[in-house]
Amino acid sequence: MKLERITIENFRQYYGRQRLAFSRDHQRNVTVIHGVNGAGKTSLFLAINWCLYGEGVSSVGELISKEAASRAQDGETVSTSVELAFLHNDERYLVSRRLTGTKQSDSSVLVNSGEDFTMMRTSQDGQAKRVNNPIGAMNAILPSNVRTYFLFDGEKIDNFAKPEAGDEVRYAIYNVLKLEVLTRGRKHLQDVAAEYRRELKSISTGELRDLIEQEEKARADKESALAQKENLVREIESVRRKTADIDHRLSEMQNASALQQQRERIERELAQRQSEMRQLVSDIRETATSGFTIVAWTAIERALTVLDEKREKGEIPSSIRQQFLQDLIDRMECICGRSFEPDGPEHRRLLELMHNTVPGSLEDDVLATNASLRALDEQRQSLRSDLDKGMRRRVELRERMKALDEELDDVSRQLEGSPQEEISKLEMQRRDFQADIDSYLLQQGSLDSRIETLTKDISQLEKQIERAKKDKNKQRLLARKAALAQRSADAIDEMYQAFADDMRRRIEAKTGEIFKQLIWKSSHFQNIRLGPDYNLQVIDRYDRPARPELSAGERQVLSLSFVTAMSRISEGKAPLVMDTPFGRLSSYHRSSITEHLPELTEQLVLFVTDEELRDQARENLEPRIGAEYRLHFNRETSCTTILKGNDNDRD
Amino acid sequence: MLRDRLLKLFEEYDQDVRQVIADILALEQEHISMERPRVKEQIKQIIKQVVKNEA
Repeated sequence: MKLERITIENFRQYYGRQRLAFSRDHQRNVTVIHGVNGAGKTSLFLAINWCLYGEGVSSVGELISKEAASRAQDGETVSTSVELAFLHNDERYLVSRRLTGTKQSDSSVLVNSGEDFTMMRTSQDGQAKRVNNPIGAMNAILPSNVRTYFLFDGEKIDNFAKPEAGDEVRYAIYNVLKLEVLTRGRKHLQDVAAEYRRELKSISTGELRDLIEQEEKARADKESALAQKENLVREIESVRRKTADIDHRLSEMQNASALQQQRERIERELAQRQSEMRQLVSDIRETATSGFTIVAWTAIERALTVLDEKREKGEIPSSIRQQFLQDLIDRMECICGRSFEPDGPEHRRLLELMHNTVPGSLEDDVLATNASLRALDEQRQSLRSDLDKGMRRRVELRERMKALDEELDDVSRQLEGSPQEEISKLEMQRRDFQADIDSYLLQQGSLDSRIETLTKDISQLEKQIERAKKDKNKQRLLARKAALAQRSADAIDEMYQAFADDMRRRIEAKTGEIFKQLIWKSSHFQNIRLGPDYNLQVIDRYDRPARPELSAGERQVLSLSFVTAMSRISEGKAPLVMDTPFGRLSSYHRSSITEHLPELTEQLVLFVTDEELRDQARENLEPRIGAEYRLHFNRETSCTTILKGNDNDRD
Repeated sequence: MLRDRLLKLFEEYDQDVRQVIADILALEQEHISMERPRVKEQIKQIIKQVVKNEA
């Protein structure tokens, strides 16, 4: 980040619009802004901070120029704005912050809520674009939590060197050297990895393999059952062929022919009755399942009873509608033509009926309900009749089939008892074959049932496997995400300490190097130590910590060395902007700092009083100054003007 | 830059881990001014994208 220019308008004592260009020259990289106490150095320093971060201002109402406010009419809008142009990573940025308010009758300014903060970025090809997330962009360029190490108040600079400043040093290193970013990244990755694992656990049952094994077993069982069934069917066919062969032979034998023909006739009728029975059972089942009115009949019957009772009580006049009664009353005449007297018995009865009738629409509904319920009654009676008829026919068929079975047994017994041995033998064989067929059919039925069950099981398992496979894919994806998040967190964890130690040692070495350049007692102070506890120590020639006995100026030099070292190590190329940095320093330290500091930073902006920068210090800095300004405070208007150059006479 | 130096530390790790770390560090840097940034969904999005690219 290299500052290019600042434009301020109606900011504190800076009335109107004023501009200041910072030196960006590599050799003459110092911008000096002179001002006596109260001239406006701190206000200008604050303007840079406020423009970039909008922070550090105790009362924003103080920001709008009092001169601008005094010139405004009551109720008129007054505003202040600061624009800062800077370069960063070969791109030009222009950030602007504006605050508006309304002049009140007591001359104060009521500040509107919210500040308008915008950022434009111009890339190398000249394309300018508004940055959508200016705060995020500023955090990537120079985060607000590290700004105080680059834009700092010289009077507070010795804070780092105070004995109790361990936490501040640690905080500074954490933030400037991105250790905080690493810490947060590691924690957030661990949190996300843990969340993935919880999600994974919630959907992971490990059932896919079990389900596939179950499906494989069910399929094998079904194949086996189908093979057994096929064998049985072949056996049944074989036995039936043998039976047909016996039947044929019996039909050709003189003493068996008649009985065989009788058996064939009985068997045909039996087959016909069996077919009829199957159809009948199907019809009965259908009738029974559609006969819900029979089940609901108790409720329907109760509803009809209630309606009848109401009608008998005259609460619901049957077929007598309200309009009909009203017509009779209006005509005072019966439907037979006989007239009746007002308040006579006929008239009173009609009025009573009128009183008991329910409103027209409800009456219609009641009548419609009554009709529907009676239709259901008819349907119920028809169903009951059909069912009764079906059941009677079933009994008849069963009786007939039983009789046919007995006739078949009788035929078989006669053939078996035939005096002709061949006939008897054939019939006995036939009986055995029939018994075999019965046994085979029983086994076939059992196998059909098993095959049906297995088919249903397989279908169910297929669905379960499909679901489990989907879960498995999700699990695989979640597992990969969890592993990647965890590996990334672990990688940060593994590298963190090495990086932190490396950074700490680099800062320690750099701070020591700069400190020894700047301090006049360089032979007394041997070294700088920054331990794992981030305690910044100056070690004297006796190898003892010397910080408690450092003078205020020496502490300031130590702090400046530390901040400059961080700036160098962070490689962030941020400018050093220092407000009254040399106030407490002796001439030697001023001299050494002005000699070395311009070399240690990319860009240096100094807000100084004349007392701070004179004699040798001024001489040292002279060849590095690229821009110089004087803040001229006008006693007549209490306003400050930024003047180019350093002409003391103009004050 | 310090960021490059930081990412160089992870060059021995797999490409997917390096990509996640680079994106996460940029994300965290953008939100560094917030005390408790809500970045979980964005981190999940980064992981999802890297896993998707890997597949």
